[in-house]
Amino acid sequence: MTKYWITGIAVTCALVAASIMAVDSTAKSLPRSTETAQIVQAANSFLASLDAKQRESVLYAFDNEQQRARWSNLPTGFVPRGGISLRQMTPAQRSAAMNLLAVALSKRGYEKVQQIMEGDEVNKKTDTGPGPGNHGNRPPRGNGGPPPDGANQPPRGGPGGLSGDMFGKDLYYISFLGTPSEQTPWMLQFGGHHLGLNITIDGGQGILTPTLTGAQPALYTEGGRTVRPLGPESDKGLALLNSLDDGEKKQAVLSYELADLVLGPGQDGKKIQPEGLKATSMTEKQRAMMLDVISEWAGIINDDAAAVRMAQLKADINQTWFAWSGPTTGTIGQNIRAYYRIQGPHLVIEYSPQTLGGDPALHVHTMYRDPTNDYGKGAIKQ
Amino acid sequence: MKWKAIALILLSLTGVASAHRLDEYLQATLIAVEKDHVDVSMRLIPGIAVSSAVIASIDANGDGVLSPQERWDYAQRVLNELVMSIDGKKLDAKLKSVDFPQIQEMRDGLGEIHIEYTAELPAGGPDRKLILENNNQRQRAVYLVNALAPSDPGISIVAQKRNPVQSTYELDYTQASGPPGSLPASWWTPNLFQLGIRHIAEGTDHLLFLLVLLLPAPLLVVGSRWRGTTGVRSSLLHILGIVTAFTLGHSITLVLAAFGVVHLPSRPIEVLIAVSILVSAVHALRPIFPGREAGIAAFFGLIHGLAFASTLSELGLGRWERLAGILAFNLGIETMQLAVVAATLPSLILMNRTRAYPWLRVCGALFAGVASVGWIVERVLGAQSSVDVVVNKLAHHSVWIAGGLFLLSLVCWAFENAGPALSNDLPVTS
Repeated sequence: MTKYWITGIAVTCALVAASIMAVDSTAKSLPRSTETAQIVQAANSFLASLDAKQRESVLYAFDNEQQRARWSNLPTGFVPRGGISLRQMTPAQRSAAMNLLAVALSKRGYEKVQQIMEGDEVNKKTDTGPGPGNHGNRPPRGNGGPPPDGANQPPRGGPGGLSGDMFGKDLYYISFLGTPSEQTPWMLQFGGHHLGLNITIDGGQGILTPTLTGAQPALYTEGGRTVRPLGPESDKGLALLNSLDDGEKKQAVLSYELADLVLGPGQDGKKIQPEGLKATSMTEKQRAMMLDVISEWAGIINDDAAAVRMAQLKADINQTWFAWSGPTTGTIGQNIRAYYRIQGPHLVIEYSPQTLGGDPALHVHTMYRDPTNDYGKGAIKQ
Repeated sequence: MKWKAIALILLSLTGVASAHRLDEYLQATLIAVEKDHVDVSMRLIPGIAVSSAVIASIDANGDGVLSPQERWDYAQRVLNELVMSIDGKKLDAKLKSVDFPQIQEMRDGLGEIHIEYTAELPAGGPDRKLILENNNQRQRAVYLVNALAPSDPGISIVAQKRNPVQSTYELDYTQASGPPGSLPASWWTPNLFQLGIRHIAEGTDHLLFLLVLLLPAPLLVVGSRWRGTTGVRSSLLHILGIVTAFTLGHSITLVLAAFGVVHLPSRPIEVLIAVSILVSAVHALRPIFPGREAGIAAFFGLIHGLAFASTLSELGLGRWERLAGILAFNLGIETMQLAVVAATLPSLILMNRTRAYPWLRVCGALFAGVASVGWIVERVLGAQSSVDVVVNKLAHHSVWIAGGLFLLSLVCWAFENAGPALSNDLPVTS
């Protein structure tokens, strides 16, 4: 009697499992794979809009490590990117590219990217000649290039005038590593001056590390409205610092200057010793504030992928550190002139104002990494 | 020369005064401390306005080409300007590798020179102090110095101290003298332990399965029905057996899934978990696998383990982290499970000695049955139902429910034992 029951249960379970797997593979009703399906669809629409030569230019092999690391804070005139730029696209292709970004990113992530690009347009306009209102763009010091490589590098420069070559919202490049797929891993890269988005899609997973954001001018007006592409990063970081008591501040504020990103472009997968104030010494409210700061980077990617990432970072929170270097005073609504770093077992965030363009409040570089999973290398099974 | 020219044009256009960074020489150092040596890597990036001077100092014979010998000599000169010591003893830095960019990249202010060197560390006490002073290009240099997180589990960094410009760096660390290969200090991951606890506390489906399976544990089967009771000792053993079997089952699949040996989509597993509750609810009503609860618990444990694994895999841990993680996570799950069993066991055994037990068993089984059917529908069709909401609401008050159950069982038990005449008249059956 019992034997029959147990056999019956086992058979039923097997049938249920089999039927659901069958339904699953056809219907794709999981919310996470829906997101991937939409990104793949948008990517394919974009690729379909290109001519054969353009398509060849944007597609790289998934194991092309040179292209993977070919991103930078520098203008594209200094460090040429792979793929093709918005400037090289027809209006229809351009809107297909931007639609892909809108699908792959969250609403606020997409807005941030647009504001960074728009900022570079402001940069271009103020840079066409000397005159009032010039924010003072300088060619950069060398830090920040991708690892040196020999052949297979896109040609430098291009037609057009000086600032036309250097800056502008159409000098952002799109490229793919591997083929857009719902099952096998592939990568979408989008970047230019002050932007390096590296999005790895592996089945239902979406990984944004490593990603660089930056802005110059980091504060500008557009249509009478003040725009700060990286304003929330500045405000939330400052609010977290302000929430610390004197003892906590003493631990969080480092006694030395940090002139630049420690783990900028080219520094993939490096784990440095964390410093500053550990979250175990924070209050519950301060920990929540720190998570909110983190979300400014982790939340650039689409909401589903961001939720998974935030759950991981929340589980890590007690092993997460907050360090500050530079002026401890600032005003919410204006950009800080200080460097800060948030670091945990799966996270490095750096916010680094640059003295290069004059006022460090107007020129910012930031970095977002997971040293254990840059480019999804920890998650993707080899 | 083209980019340098452009840069200089830009400079003249936009005012040189504030652009001091261009004439800086960035020197970024990463230090890896090992048991008996230290590895250091340096990135040297001369800004566009100083690169010509730097190139000139490298190109000793001035032929416009940086020969391998000139590159090596330059790196050696940089090293000679470093002062490195451990516990007050001077260290001898040996150049390991030198990597130069194209000369044009350097002229453009984009080139990174990479230098790697190493130094042997003499044996010392448990508290060690490494000092690194970089005097290269003090007027122009901007320094960054950081220690990498030690790969040797016996080494832990206590403090990094620097002067404001980071040209002087002091690394305080402890070095365990014990044999290598002991467990790393970080093997214990309290977060994952808590995650395990939360997973059970909030994953009401796992709990419900276990509780319903325990319901008929103190009973005997006569014919095809639950009749009579077993003794306290045998009930306890039986329950222990069930819990252990469940643990064994889910531990096996948790490990297998965490290491990628088995990989199943999460939805069928979630459905099977709901099915497992339904099966044990039916069993609590009418015995369908009497005496084999442990086997059933182990079998469904295998399925529940797959669900635990998907929670872990979302965290994206590395291989060793994962092993330590599984241990911590599983311990968390076990702890919470034992807490729940400990909280309900006295009530079950106590109430089992009263005529109220069949009511508890039947009501509990019906509740679990209805909930599981709701979950099955919800998870198969992807439809929304209120099952989750209701069960979670109840689970939020689990402490009160467990307490109430215990009080109730006390009352029932006291009532029946206070009136022995009354209870002796009636046989204890379902």
